[in-house]
Amino acid sequence: MIDWAWLADHLDELAGRTVQHFFLAAAAVAIGFVISLALSIWAVRRRRLRGFLVTVSGVLYTIPSLALFAALVPVTGLSIATALVPLVLYTLLILMRNILAGLDAVPSDVVEAADAMGYSTRGRLVSVELPLALPLIVAGLRLASVSTIGLVTVSGILGDRFGGLGFFIFEGHSRSFPTEILLGAVPSILLAIAVDLVLQEVQRRLTPWAAHRMDVMPATPTGAPGMLGTGAGTSSGT
Amino acid sequence: MTTAERVVFEHVTKRYPGTGSGNPGAVEDLSLEVPAGKICVLVGPSGCGKTTSLKMVNRLIEPTSGRILIGDTDVMSRDVIDLRRGIGYVIQQVGLFPHQTVGENVATVPRLLGWDVARRGARAKELLELVGLDPARYADRYPSVLSGGERQRVGVARALAADPPVLLMDEPFGAVDPIVRERLQNELLNLQEQLAKTILFVTHDIDEAIKMGDLVAVMEVGGHLAQFGRPDEILASPASDFVARFVGADRGLKRLALVRVGDLELARAVTARPGDDAAAARAHVADADPPFLLLLDEHDAPIGWIAAGGIPAEGTLDASRATGMSPLLDRHTTLKDAFSMLLASDVQAGVVVDEKGRYRSIVTADMIAERMRPQAAGSGAKASGSGAKASGSGAQTPGNGARTADGS
Repeated sequence: MIDWAWLADHLDELAGRTVQHFFLAAAAVAIGFVISLALSIWAVRRRRLRGFLVTVSGVLYTIPSLALFAALVPVTGLSIATALVPLVLYTLLILMRNILAGLDAVPSDVVEAADAMGYSTRGRLVSVELPLALPLIVAGLRLASVSTIGLVTVSGILGDRFGGLGFFIFEGHSRSFPTEILLGAVPSILLAIAVDLVLQEVQRRLTPWAAHRMDVMPATPTGAPGMLGTGAGTSSGT
Repeated sequence: MTTAERVVFEHVTKRYPGTGSGNPGAVEDLSLEVPAGKICVLVGPSGCGKTTSLKMVNRLIEPTSGRILIGDTDVMSRDVIDLRRGIGYVIQQVGLFPHQTVGENVATVPRLLGWDVARRGARAKELLELVGLDPARYADRYPSVLSGGERQRVGVARALAADPPVLLMDEPFGAVDPIVRERLQNELLNLQEQLAKTILFVTHDIDEAIKMGDLVAVMEVGGHLAQFGRPDEILASPASDFVARFVGADRGLKRLALVRVGDLELARAVTARPGDDAAAARAHVADADPPFLLLLDEHDAPIGWIAAGGIPAEGTLDASRATGMSPLLDRHTTLKDAFSMLLASDVQAGVVVDEKGRYRSIVTADMIAERMRPQAAGSGAKASGSGAKASGSGAQTPGNGARTADGS
């Protein structure tokens, strides 16, 4: 059963690990987002490049996370890079797919009207295409955040400087101490749910125009787990 | 207010890679001039290159060869962004920005041109009023809550925002229902009376072309200009079998809608007043056409017709004998409406009255038929043939210019 006294003694450590957990995930999603956004904008009208990038990110996604962390240790040592690189790589598929889908979903008549009114290519991207892609982009961020928060626990294999709440899980496992495993798992789940809700609210506020047209916002964006499975399967086949 | 500018196509050709001429959307040696302030409708079946021609004006598509001038300036010599900000553009799907309010949408080009917020807001308000949308109600709404007709009005307001001298409209009313379309067409014609922009208007609907166009360019698949002229000319004397088929077998009736009763020469009926001598009137009517007497009251307002056979041999005329009535028309009635009413009337002559209801003249089916005959249209019909020829070979350039363009 749960050892409440032990838990009470470790609240300070819980707070510290939660903060670490959050920042690892946030850094990974932020870096992944910047890379994905840049790659998507570069590739959105280049069919071959686009196929290549989606395939590569799909292949990366199929690599077991434990193996990837372990494989990086000889290269980057027990540094922050070893923790972040896999986390970032796993966000790329989800984020790129959603950003591309968001840009694709901008109606062609809107793009044509923007051109005809004298938007520059960059002006059109910033003022028209990205704002209209926002619902799908934020949907991608939500998925990436939730999945990354889960993955951060795995980086606990790198030792107590990383892994956030995952450290409790590994230590609890090696000590066969269920209370400590729960101290890692439950806050991790709660953190994921909280971040998802916050991002959902952010999206609602960023896209007031979409309030009347929920119908055009797919409830299951292309980055949903089912899609990922098929995407990864196709990719590894090539 | 900016003055309108003429738009000139000089031997404009657009070919798509991998194919010769004749593929959908291609344009072959198009030459025509739209004078400043006129509406020119490009009409033809799908794939005839009418939309391509339109999009070459603001360089959404670039011509393979030839020149397009706005005023006297080749559009290819201008910065493409500046060029587009100076040309209004309206499309069938409207293309409003869903993430911007109606007011922001209308102020798009002013914003791109760097107008300050106050001036943009004032301009958006002015334009929404111009297209019949109350700014207080509409300016802060998002496009998704508007009806199709409202969206199209916002689209027109947005295109006019920076007061461009030229407006391009690609099937602007193609996606709204017929009643709304009719209303939007009339509103645009009314607007055009105030604005006098040069408008290029693309449609596949010949009726819309005839209604909207000061000039109509009929295009056929392969991107050839089949005929260019005033709507009346095209209906009266189609330049080819293709044009004749395209305008339809009822082109005679369509022409009737373009001519108004006021355009006809005056014709008089035999008239009399109650109390006049019957025998004299009977003598007058004997060889009149139609064989009817039109009875007028003391204010010259028509009372009705009396058939020649119904006039008494002696005594005086009285109003109770005037039983036959016929349509009352005014100067603005179209010949189509007049003809339609004549078909249903007892006496085959419509009575034209002025604003005060006073008799002015009559209109008979024969007169309408006479007016619509190509010879009777006279110089108009003749000119259309030569007009189309002249435009076809490039009215703006000497003949050898055509050869150069063909050779390139």
